[in-house]
Amino acid sequence: MRVALAEDGALFREGLLMLLQAAGHDIVGATADGDALLDLLATEPCDVAILDIRMPPEPDGGLITAERLRAKYPDMGLLFLSHYAESHYLMRILDIGTEAVGYRLKEKVGSVDVLSDTLDRIRDGEIVIEPVLAKRLVERPRGEKKGLVASLSERETDVLKLMAEGRSNNGIAGQLFVTPKAVEKHIANIFGKLGLHADTSENHRRVLAVLEYLRAQRDDD
Amino acid sequence: MIAEPAHRTDGAPQAGAEVGPRSEGARPGSPTVRLLPPGPDDRLRFRRARWQSRQRLERQLHDGASLRISALALKLGVVRHHIASAAPDLDGSIDDLQDQLHAVLQELREIAGRIYPTLLDEAGLGPALRGAGDRCEATVRVQAPDRRFDPAAEGAAYFAVADLLGALGPDSDVAIVVGDDGGALVVTVEGVPVEYAGRMLDEVAGLDGTIDVTGGTGVGTITARIPCA
Repeated sequence: MRVALAEDGALFREGLLMLLQAAGHDIVGATADGDALLDLLATEPCDVAILDIRMPPEPDGGLITAERLRAKYPDMGLLFLSHYAESHYLMRILDIGTEAVGYRLKEKVGSVDVLSDTLDRIRDGEIVIEPVLAKRLVERPRGEKKGLVASLSERETDVLKLMAEGRSNNGIAGQLFVTPKAVEKHIANIFGKLGLHADTSENHRRVLAVLEYLRAQRDDD
Repeated sequence: MIAEPAHRTDGAPQAGAEVGPRSEGARPGSPTVRLLPPGPDDRLRFRRARWQSRQRLERQLHDGASLRISALALKLGVVRHHIASAAPDLDGSIDDLQDQLHAVLQELREIAGRIYPTLLDEAGLGPALRGAGDRCEATVRVQAPDRRFDPAAEGAAYFAVADLLGALGPDSDVAIVVGDDGGALVVTVEGVPVEYAGRMLDEVAGLDGTIDVTGGTGVGTITARIPCA
């Protein structure tokens, strides 16, 4: 896969480059800020751009750069890396795009398998969300949803967490060592209990419905 | 590391300013000088500087230790990739080390957040208070403008409200409105026991802030008003 990278911390940039190389990816280039990445990508195409959220142009250059990249190259995948797994940033990322985007903690992509799995899923159009954040969203949903989410069985809660990570049915089945059919059944139960009526035929819509549900707040945001 | 200035109680004469005969007076010939106690303007400047130093500490944790540890996690991943087939035991140890690095980072993030929340620094009071609302038991709604206030006012307002939210149970339903009144930051917190007003005053008084309470003695509304620099 062709990958480009913008990160202002030299140590981390170097580590990530080494890991990307070990994973056998083709590195188009690495820059210390978003504007330089835009310049670079004007001549070198890539499949996924990896962006540090907190880098120049200040204060959150990763997000601004991503908006520009999405407008210019709608098919390019975007992976955001950060020290913080915050739903505030997740919502801002989903405002930029709901397809082929990922948001992960910097220290959690530290293996060839995890990094490549994350990049593959993004290239395939999925949303990839840091499991630490997905878990928190499910365990601490906002407002009156707390009771409804608490009514799910343990297995259903596991499935909901994996959905909140952006995983497809097959992905969830693989993680839980069950058949996709069993996952379907769990998801139908979850949507029934939570009173969600989203179009359940497509993975992607379902993931978005779950994220919206867990985050939904009344008048603000 | 920058040391945080020692806490001083507001209004009281500064202990360090009292130069007694045992210190300076013991050296003959050198005149004894008594420092004037800080005036209201000095105290305010001191408080504002304290918030700015907190903000710097948070950034230092983020740019220094956190970045170094994250980079280490990646380099361990590279090492594992090179030795994986040869040494399955080592593979497991590296997994374990990476988990521990993640745990250390989570602790650093927690400390950084108590010094000065990253979201407050980066995104302002609205997102930071929503984050605090997510972490507490109560149901919390936040309305806030996009505009930013000075770091001291935002810091004091954040900690005043976040401490209060942390003390509430799951039955509380709180509405927070952040606004601007002639250059002052105004935060209205509705649906909270008014007995907490005193604790909020502790946070904002240093910046010449005020607290108003409406709603008698039970659940009511607390309004904090903090002048901005």
